[in-house]
Amino acid sequence: MNTFVAIGDTVVDELRAILGDEGVLIGKAARYNRTRVPAPFPVHRWAEYVPDLVVLPRTAEQVSEVVKLANRERIPVVPRAGGTGLNDGALPLKRGIVVDIKRMNQIKEVDLVDRTVTVGPGINMLKLNEELRKHNVMFPDDPASYPCSLVGGRIGTSGWSLIGGRYGHTRDLVISFQIVLPTGEIIEVGDGGGRKIRKSSSGFQLKHLFMGHQGTLGIVTEATLELVPRPEMEFAAFFHYPSYTAAWESTGALAKSGLASLGGVVLFDEYKLRYLRRDDEAYIPRPDHVRAVVATALYGTRDEVEPAARRIMRIGRESGGTYLGDEISSGDWASRHDRYATPLHGRLDTGEVVPMSWHCEDASINYSQLPAVMEKWHAITARYAEKTGILDDWGMFAYTNGAYKPWGDYLTEIDIGIWEQKLSDDNWPDWVACKREIAQVALDHGGSITACHGATREGDAELIPVEMGGGFDVMLKIKAALDPNNIMNPGKYELDRAYGLDEKVFR
Amino acid sequence: MIGFRLSAQKPPEARRITDDVIQRFEHIYEVDPAKMTIIEQQDMPAWDTMRIVDSRWEHLAWMHDHWADAVLTAEDLGEGGPHPDG
Repeated sequence: MNTFVAIGDTVVDELRAILGDEGVLIGKAARYNRTRVPAPFPVHRWAEYVPDLVVLPRTAEQVSEVVKLANRERIPVVPRAGGTGLNDGALPLKRGIVVDIKRMNQIKEVDLVDRTVTVGPGINMLKLNEELRKHNVMFPDDPASYPCSLVGGRIGTSGWSLIGGRYGHTRDLVISFQIVLPTGEIIEVGDGGGRKIRKSSSGFQLKHLFMGHQGTLGIVTEATLELVPRPEMEFAAFFHYPSYTAAWESTGALAKSGLASLGGVVLFDEYKLRYLRRDDEAYIPRPDHVRAVVATALYGTRDEVEPAARRIMRIGRESGGTYLGDEISSGDWASRHDRYATPLHGRLDTGEVVPMSWHCEDASINYSQLPAVMEKWHAITARYAEKTGILDDWGMFAYTNGAYKPWGDYLTEIDIGIWEQKLSDDNWPDWVACKREIAQVALDHGGSITACHGATREGDAELIPVEMGGGFDVMLKIKAALDPNNIMNPGKYELDRAYGLDEKVFR
Repeated sequence: MIGFRLSAQKPPEARRITDDVIQRFEHIYEVDPAKMTIIEQQDMPAWDTMRIVDSRWEHLAWMHDHWADAVLTAEDLGEGGPHPDG
């Protein structure tokens, strides 16, 4: 059931009056290119999710006017930042207007006294840090999409940072932001009031309500971000192990080192090494006794990093690791800031190479549960790979997930290649069932479905009410109160239930 | 421009690393062309392969410089270098 109306010429004329002719795109290429994100997508039904038009605002006031118009006319609105998400937050399930915020990319203020930078949501972190370098500071939010994702999307997904163990994740690094509500009002949210205040007990913690909103509660139009001193020194060390269990135990020892400069610890399982070894992505040496790898990285002043590096080397070796060498350690670590540069291809069970897109499961799992979850996830993937013939298990990573205290739980990732060209109405349900079983394992082990992408896909979304429990009813009430006409990114997170609708994510 | 050089054009003969991988240049692993029939492997001149590899190293060096003033290695600490069997 779709309660939305088609967009007529009068609405297009009104949008052009708000944004200018160049701010309203109705061409096929502009719309088709904003239909999907990298997450596996039912390409056989692409045409059903193409937005009616795209707008490119430059100001919060323009965003507000667009949203007011959409609310009045009952037109779906979907904000889109870099379009790099590994879930479907930016995907217009009910068509409507895509609000592409990439022209809102200004640096508005650098405050070196109170240590903040205020930006538009369309700025990319790499570009921002190039400007901040002249001040010897940086904004250390570091996703795998660092060179191509945008600040607005980081807030929309409540992103995870590769070096969050030292500097925190997106929710910790965004001090406050401005957001246009579904009815068009422009408000500021933070930890209490005060655009540059890091800690407050005033009122509800509204920053956290809107952090990770996936476009369902509004559109971010400005953000005030944390500045940290530019690191004087980086140190990365990779160790290899004869078994996953040995590597898992060493991961725990390294993560619990208590070193303040520890950016993160990453555990590669045997499947991941097999994947990295099998073709031109390989950095990992090939002897059979190299069965798992652990990576660590430190950032900070020279005075911090040098002694911490000695301790990391000692812990790594005393816990059973063998150092993999400087070239792999520093070279592979540098590549972790930019995983979207990796060409995507997978293998059939015959070993034949085929083009595949990337599914990245991203559950939060406690350290104690990692071995059991790993076994179950690989078994599920193998079963559906055999059944469908279009999936390829690319192995698992587990990354430290806590901010500043990186030892209790892990962003647990299984990467699965999927041959999208072969998707059909026959095998799409199998993929969704595979996805759902993987997510259910995370819940069965006391975890969360998603550490950083959000759970807006079919196969994830229907488990959000299970994970959230009574909190999901609160989500529905908040959604209905803030978005009375369900115009903001409808169809996501099962929030249509707030309006008496109960639809599948994909039709 | 130094003109045509056969060594810059013709890649060296491949040696087999695993059932699925071959190698023509040090540290550069290639999918066995026999495994690439659905997507056919391109013929690349040697200079183009080296250009891509050099570009990758430049990118990694740029990324190091982007994130910190200096990179410390285990070798700098007097305990690094690749492990003999690793």
